[in-house]
Amino acid sequence: MNMRAGIQELSISALAVESAAGRIVSDISFTISRGRPLTLLGESGSGKSLVAQAIMGNLPAELLATGKVLLDGTDLLAGSPAERRARWGRSISLLPQEPWLALDPTMRIASQVSEVHRFLKDRDARRSRQLAGDNLAEVGLERAGELYPFQMSGGMAQRAAIAITHAADVDLMIADEPTKGLDAALRDSVVARLRQEVDRGRLLLTITHDVAVARALGGTVGVMLDGRLVECGPAERLLAAPEHDYSRALIAADPQGWEGRAPTTSGEIVLAGRGLAKAYGERLLFADLDVEIRAGAIVAIVGPSGCGKTTVGNILLGLARPDSGTVERRKDLSPLRYQKLYQDPPAAFAPHQPIRKGLVDLVRLHGRTWIEVERLLARLRLQGNLLDRLPNQISGGELQRFAILRALLLDPVFLFADEATSRLDPLSQKEVIDFLLEIVRETGLAVLLVTHDRHLAERISSRIVDLGGAAPLGYGE
Amino acid sequence: MSTIDNVSPARGRARLSGSCASGAALLFLLAAFALLGPVLIPADPAAQDFSASLAPIGGDYALGADHYGRSLLARLAHGARLSFGLAFLTMLAAAVPGVLLGLAAAWRGGWTERLLELLATVVLALPGLMLVLLLLAFSPGNYGPLFLGLSLTLWVEFYRVTRAATKTVLAQPHIEAARMLGFGSGYILRNCVLPVIAPTIATLAAFAMATAIIAVSTLSAISVGLQPPTPELGSMIVELLPYYAEAPVHVLLPAMLIFLLVLGLQLVAEGDRA
Amino acid sequence: MRNFLVARLMQAGIVAMVVGALCFLLMRVLPGDAAMRIAAGRYGPDARIAEAADKVRLELGLDRPVLLQFLEWLGGLLRLDLGHSLVTGAPVVDELQVQLGASVWLAASALLISLLIGPVIGVFSGMKPGGITDRTGLAGAVVFRAIPPFVLGLILMFILSKQLGWLPPAGFGSPREIVLPALTLALGLAAMSSRVTRNSVAAVARTPYFAFARHKGLPEAIVVRRHGIRNAAIPVVSYLGLQAVYLVEGVVVVESLFAYPGIGHALVHAIVERDIPMVQGTALVMGLMFVAIAALVDAISLWLDPRFGRAA
Repeated sequence: MNMRAGIQELSISALAVESAAGRIVSDISFTISRGRPLTLLGESGSGKSLVAQAIMGNLPAELLATGKVLLDGTDLLAGSPAERRARWGRSISLLPQEPWLALDPTMRIASQVSEVHRFLKDRDARRSRQLAGDNLAEVGLERAGELYPFQMSGGMAQRAAIAITHAADVDLMIADEPTKGLDAALRDSVVARLRQEVDRGRLLLTITHDVAVARALGGTVGVMLDGRLVECGPAERLLAAPEHDYSRALIAADPQGWEGRAPTTSGEIVLAGRGLAKAYGERLLFADLDVEIRAGAIVAIVGPSGCGKTTVGNILLGLARPDSGTVERRKDLSPLRYQKLYQDPPAAFAPHQPIRKGLVDLVRLHGRTWIEVERLLARLRLQGNLLDRLPNQISGGELQRFAILRALLLDPVFLFADEATSRLDPLSQKEVIDFLLEIVRETGLAVLLVTHDRHLAERISSRIVDLGGAAPLGYGE
Repeated sequence: MSTIDNVSPARGRARLSGSCASGAALLFLLAAFALLGPVLIPADPAAQDFSASLAPIGGDYALGADHYGRSLLARLAHGARLSFGLAFLTMLAAAVPGVLLGLAAAWRGGWTERLLELLATVVLALPGLMLVLLLLAFSPGNYGPLFLGLSLTLWVEFYRVTRAATKTVLAQPHIEAARMLGFGSGYILRNCVLPVIAPTIATLAAFAMATAIIAVSTLSAISVGLQPPTPELGSMIVELLPYYAEAPVHVLLPAMLIFLLVLGLQLVAEGDRA
Repeated sequence: MRNFLVARLMQAGIVAMVVGALCFLLMRVLPGDAAMRIAAGRYGPDARIAEAADKVRLELGLDRPVLLQFLEWLGGLLRLDLGHSLVTGAPVVDELQVQLGASVWLAASALLISLLIGPVIGVFSGMKPGGITDRTGLAGAVVFRAIPPFVLGLILMFILSKQLGWLPPAGFGSPREIVLPALTLALGLAAMSSRVTRNSVAAVARTPYFAFARHKGLPEAIVVRRHGIRNAAIPVVSYLGLQAVYLVEGVVVVESLFAYPGIGHALVHAIVERDIPMVQGTALVMGLMFVAIAALVDAISLWLDPRFGRAA
């Protein structure tokens, strides 16, 4: 481990971010030192990204940061915008979220790395190319320099972004949601790389909503709620014994901390696939796959992105056709009693139709009564005033509960939950999962859960089918 | 000619709703002039009165008279009705089959879609005006080939946009969800597809009418469209052109009317996509 | 690359077929005996017209089955034989050569002038969306798009040649005479491309990769040069492909208006005079000009954008 000479500490006191309408973030104080990274944990809208932007100096023009942000004694907020910008790539660098969008789509990766050497460090073109090659080799992309971003997987793009920050070789690195959109395996490898940055002596600030990321990075953890830092302390202590109510709820919502809650009883087979096989072009997703889902049971399918998990569910529901194999369903049941929950809740509702209209039409179509809807609204703790909003005007968690409500109106025997909680904040995820478990227990609903979160699968399912054996091409992690 | 304008993404956000309102107001006034003008104005647009040749504005003739002494006000009203009416019919004749075929292609896929795509490619291989010109060669100066040629080129845009937009909607999870919940194709078409594509179609319709108005006046101006003495705005400009020195405003009036018609349609179209 | 070439070649083939079929149909449905009409056109109406018509009929093969005639026309096309003008009697190909040169000059000048106006205004508008330049540019674009090209041409003619006397109003021969028609076309083209450029520049400025280039610490000039221009140019270039329609149509209108002796002018004349071989030849060349511009745009897009044609 070669420690760097350079900046020792970032110390923030009474940082606030204000807009014309008032304070959005207030009273943030913490210190990051060498070997002790800091992770800000919070849900979307908690203001954690604004803290990162205030330190970086790239807040939107209409927002103003006050307080002190001292990088070894220099106040980062004091300078002019030009002075702040002059630090980018020289003393601070930002690891972007969703790096596949942050890389220039029309430029080869090697050029995107080498331009840092060429234009920031004023090295000549040949030397810059050489050094860029080294930077790419450090993250295992030595052969990817000639690729364009669209030819790379999400994990490769993330490593390319890390190589770019390596090229800048700065003391303070800010990682804004570095694992957004990555599956569990990729997430772990990104976190391991961030950990290496800490070991090399860089100061690291990470913004995330994922408790598992905070746990893996260690150091200090701060929990943010509504623009305030409600709790801040050593990761080992805070994650094990949180003091503030909200931190407690947030950490309890992480499936890794759950006790096993899988349903124990199960009834007859509701749906089964026998000898299923599917290939996309040349690539075989799975072959000779047997799945059986019994009433009152939860079967989970896990595996990395692109392994064909969702396809299995769609085949079982009859939405996709297998290349070989058969699907058996109970013939005496209407197909309407086999339902599906979607990954992206807003996409599962007609965007210009108020929720109420969809439900009224559904009730009318199937001869149900509105009383049933109201009973379910109360049951799923959904407020009546949400009914008159459009899908994009209510939160993902609420929308997913409306999707459950919609399915329950049809008295389902089988529900395919396709990554149904992966886009939700941890607390909403827990809430949705809790309802699902309750319903399974009460009605004997059979659930097929597709997820990349192995912990979630292990805690709530009766059986796990792992499709992770063959990692798909391009994901050479 | 082609409605290529609408491929460019929405323009500046500033003044969008305002532009839509002013466009609608402008169109309303022009439509009133085009519809009521020919009824209320007693003068015959074809009646010649050589003693009144190039009569000034504000005299016996409200907007003056042309070189044959024909009332310009009456000719403008009839010209506006002709432009507006022909553009509206052309738009309908293009929009109805275009939208229906677009829906069919997106819905059915397979061979239906492939055949329609081929047809669209064939029509688009030539610039629209060329096709209209070729058809006009069959009988220059007539409405038939003009109307047919314009509709024939304009339907493709409706078809392509409808097909693309419908395909995007149909690929979304909420369509699959609606089917799983037991809703039929009619419900999905009415509640999930049409509301999404309707604003785009409306924008396209306004652009198509603007295109048709420009095309009709242009073709008449280069003497392959409608022929004098038909009170067509484009040919009126060209007819009056030699008298520019004596009566400049007379020449400008029909040009102004075309400009306002197209401007109104474009403002409405711009506003639609806010 | 090869895919686009094949697609454009196919388009060229379709152009030839559509033009050919329509002209062929035209020949058949026009009232009266085609051979008689052609003979009258060529030799004038005199006593020996019937004899002349027989000669023409034999020469053009009008006595043979329709399909065979169509195939022969296609064969002639492959040998670059487009027949003779019914008006002048000269080979169509010879006439086209002169006119094509004039039209290409006009189209190229118009495109060049429009590129000097449109994208420049667009870049300044896009860098400050909602600013003065942007709003003026929007208003200008809306106004210019609402003026039909022939009206715009007349306005320019009056201002620049009748009132100010700077330019000759019509004709061909000196470079000064190309200015008016080219400017007319260019203003229309620029009105559209300025807005596309503006949107494209504004969109690129909002992208995460543009922000990341800044966050890397690159100087602003480098950010714009390396990550801005190329990406912003992609939609503008593909839009130029769509503008090919406007350009080719505009050439027809503007040439007729300014009596500029190009292909468009010839086409309109041929239609008025029902000179079918000329209609066919001019329409064919204009259609192919359109295909050529589209192919050029494909090539530039391919060079600019590594994703071109792959993502779809």
